[in-house]
Formats: sequence, C-alpha cells, structure tokens
Amino acid sequence: MSELYDAIVVGAGPAGSSAALTMARAGLKVVLVERGSFPGEKNMFGGVLHRLPALEEVFPDFWDRAPLERHIVKKGVTFMTGDSSFSTTIEAGNFDRPPYNGYTIFRPRFDRWLAEEAVKAGATLLTRSTVDELVYEGSRLAGVTILGREGKLSAPVVVAADGVLSFTALKAGLRRPTFNEGQMAVGVKALLDMPREMIDDRFGLVRDQGFANEFVGCTAGVRGGGFLYTNYDSLSVGLVFHLASLKTSGKTPYDLLNQFLEQPQVAKMVCGGRLQEYSAHVIRGGGYDMIPELVGNGVLVTGDAAAFCNATGLNLEGINLASHSGVLAGKAVIAAAGKGDFSRKGLDIYRQLLNDSYVMKDLKLYRKAPHMLHNDRIYNEYPELVTSLMEYIYRIEGAPKENISKLFLKAAREKVGLGNLVGDALSAWRAL
Amino acid sequence: MNIDEIFDFTSFTIDREPHIVLDANVCVGCDNRGCTNCCPARCYTWSEEEQKMTFVYDGCLECGTCYVVCHRKAFTRWRYPRGGFGVAYRMT
Repeated sequence: MSELYDAIVVGAGPAGSSAALTMARAGLKVVLVERGSFPGEKNMFGGVLHRLPALEEVFPDFWDRAPLERHIVKKGVTFMTGDSSFSTTIEAGNFDRPPYNGYTIFRPRFDRWLAEEAVKAGATLLTRSTVDELVYEGSRLAGVTILGREGKLSAPVVVAADGVLSFTALKAGLRRPTFNEGQMAVGVKALLDMPREMIDDRFGLVRDQGFANEFVGCTAGVRGGGFLYTNYDSLSVGLVFHLASLKTSGKTPYDLLNQFLEQPQVAKMVCGGRLQEYSAHVIRGGGYDMIPELVGNGVLVTGDAAAFCNATGLNLEGINLASHSGVLAGKAVIAAAGKGDFSRKGLDIYRQLLNDSYVMKDLKLYRKAPHMLHNDRIYNEYPELVTSLMEYIYRIEGAPKENISKLFLKAAREKVGLGNLVGDALSAWRAL
Repeated sequence: MNIDEIFDFTSFTIDREPHIVLDANVCVGCDNRGCTNCCPARCYTWSEEEQKMTFVYDGCLECGTCYVVCHRKAFTRWRYPRGGFGVAYRMT
C-alpha cells in the first residue's frame, strides 16, 4: 500500500474533515486517515457547535444536512458552593430563530457524518489507521507510515489534524516535546440518558430548544468549572480541571464529578438520568501562547493540534475554530499545489489566511484570559461571596437590614480582601 | 458512578499490544505521582506498602493526562493504540 495522493490529512475530526472536504471539492486527490474504527469514535467534547463561516462557504447546505441535537436558546452561569448556588440565565428570542447560535451534538455521529461528506466530495477515508512516522526524502516530505493497517501513504503534503497531543506536529518538529501542565486542562464527562419530555419540563424548553449551563465553584477548590448541556434525550454533564491544580490537590476527577452530581441543586437537574457513557480528554487551556509552529516543509497544523481552542472566555469554543482552520489549511494546500511548491514558504499562505481570520484574532483578544483564571479566588471565595450575599439579601426574618453596598464591602473584605477585589476586577477587565 | 465499573459504561476494544509502556522503576523515585490522582480512568495505582506502581492500559480513555503530568519521563512508549483498538465512544 503506497498509493500517491496530493495530500494526506491525519485525523478525521472537524479540522481534518473540513480540510479534506475543501481539497476534495477543488479536485485534489486526498486521503483522510483516522485511527478509530469510524470517525468520531475517539472524540469527546463538552460543548456546543457554533457557526462555521468558512465551512458554510464550501458547504452551503451544511446546517440542513448535519446531524444536530438541540439548538441553544438558554445559556446560564451558576456560582456554586457545597449546598447553595446563584445562577444567571439569558434566554434570547434571537437565539430561537435561525440561523441558530449553537447546537449540541454527539461527536461519534457528527464527526462520522462530516467525514462521509468529505468522502462524497471525493476524498478517500482510511479508518483503523494510526499514523506512525513521517517519511522524508531529504528535507522534502514524502508521506506517512501507518500502524494498524501496516503500510505507507505517499503525498507531498500532510495536514496534521490529529488532536491536542498531535504526534504529527511533534514528529515534524513543529511542537515542543513536552507540555506544561500549567497550560493544560482535563475534562471528564458523564452522558446521562433522560426522557425528552423530562428534559423539556425540567429546563423549560419546547420543540428543539436546548439549554447550556456553566458552573463555577463546583470543583472543591481545584481550578476549573462544570458544564451541563441538553441533548434531545440525554444530558452531557462534566467538569474541566486545570491539570497542575488537580495534581497538587491530590483529588481525582471521578470523585469530584460524583460530588458535583450530588450537590443538591445539580442533583435535582440530573435526577432520573441513567449513566450511559463516561469520557475524558485533555484540553489546551493556554490559549494563544500555546500555538505551535503552524507550517513546516510539507506540513500544516490545524484544529486542536494547533491549540485553536478558546477554553477560557465566557464561551467555550473549539470545533468552530478547528473547522475554520481546516478549511484554510485546505485552501493553502490548493494554492501550494497550483504552484507545485509545498515547502514552508509555499505553504506560508496558511498563516496569512489564519491571521486574517477570526480564529487568530479571537485567540489574540483573549490572550490574557488564561492568566486571569490562574487565581484560586475564582473557584472558592467568589462563588461563596456571591451566594452568601444573595442569601442575605433574600432572607427576611424581622431584623433590620444592613445597607447592601456596605454589606457587600464587609463580606468582600472578609472573604477576598479589598485589594484583591480591585486587582481581580482589573485583571478580568483587561483579560476579557 | 463507580470508576471501577468503567467497562460497564464505556466500550473498549483491547489490544494485546500495549500502547503505553511504563518503566515502573522510575515511579518509585517520583515525588508526586500525579498520574495516580489525575488519570480519569484510574489506570495508575501506587501501593505505599509494596512501594510499587501498577499500571493497566485496558480502561485507558486515551485522554492524554498522564502524558502531560508525568515529569519523570517514565514512559518507554506513549502512543495511541493501533488503528481500530482502544476506547470506542458511541454517543458522547
């Protein structure tokens, strides 16, 4: 097996399939290599699929065809302590009108479908194939070797879309050999089966409406947060932890997840749900500063492999950035093929396309957000401050009330310290 | 959820050939063994009594946590399973 292709795409996730689809529609002979027995088998996320401007351009009827779950009309944030919580929710009429802002999806279904669309466009999909080594002829890339189906694939260019650890980028010398655990997070997720009517009634939803909620203060002091998303007839519930903080804490992800699911307010939301699947994955939490070299001789890095992930702002983004960068990588390969130049210089147009896109612009905008989140007060003191203050405000027991602003300052002084409060507010303002 | 029952709710196609190989002697001298608490599938267990690290890859979720948190370079191999093997998510 050593067929000659125009391009090899490593990984049939959203970045890889978007790249393969873009190139195949332009007539390139592309092979999409996936280590799972089908695309999506290895993928997990705790999230929402947002708009995909670049993919929509090459794939105009994308939203009519994609296998989606509920569209998100309601978004919430909950500040939580052991037995109390304070939530804010936004439900906007515009979120309930097409084009919708975001959908919940199942990765094994969505990724498989998107890869099949790339195949319909002419790409070859090779499953059960783990890319092992990059093969060079001199300094020129010549192909890859495959574990699983032993063999070799030949092409002058490889698109690395092999996810967060990207061994392809490592072997091309484009990422550092080790990761800094201070810049990484791990997410764990439980998928809970629940009848559709129960979800509709419980979360106040009708038709295909969905709810997405994020939680702060639910990780027992470990830097991190929680999430809950509604699918048609299941809930995705999980936690994300900063890895260095988790390591120091000595706590385990599954114990913390169980604690989260047993917190009284969360317990009511998930009550009646039956555990269907448990999954976990590492996330790059370092934002812009984690981006590796994006272009090498005959190699482009996209999606999670390129750290295109916004896990620190109010929105959690990944698939949209992955797909966008995949399309741009596809376009760069098409341009390079036109000139017959797959050197670093010939492929450099990829970096220009990225710099002009929202992918890089947003990552730059939120560059400071990861630093802001390295503040333990966010995960302990602030949720406590908010819930205790709200509890006081709403408690009526025949005793005279204190002035609320005075009370806030008093509680803030006790729990956080006023200097810290001002400093944290400033760093949050700068970061967001 | 009981992590010891992981095979009841997550599917795996276990390869006879391990995708991660650990030199457990390195772990004896490790000062934090973050893998034991950070691994979401509890693949790493340290016995204080025997001063021994036990690692099983069968229930590995291929999440990458140990690859990131091990600062002693205790792995003689760390790669993804051969094509078609390992964790198989159905609906996550």
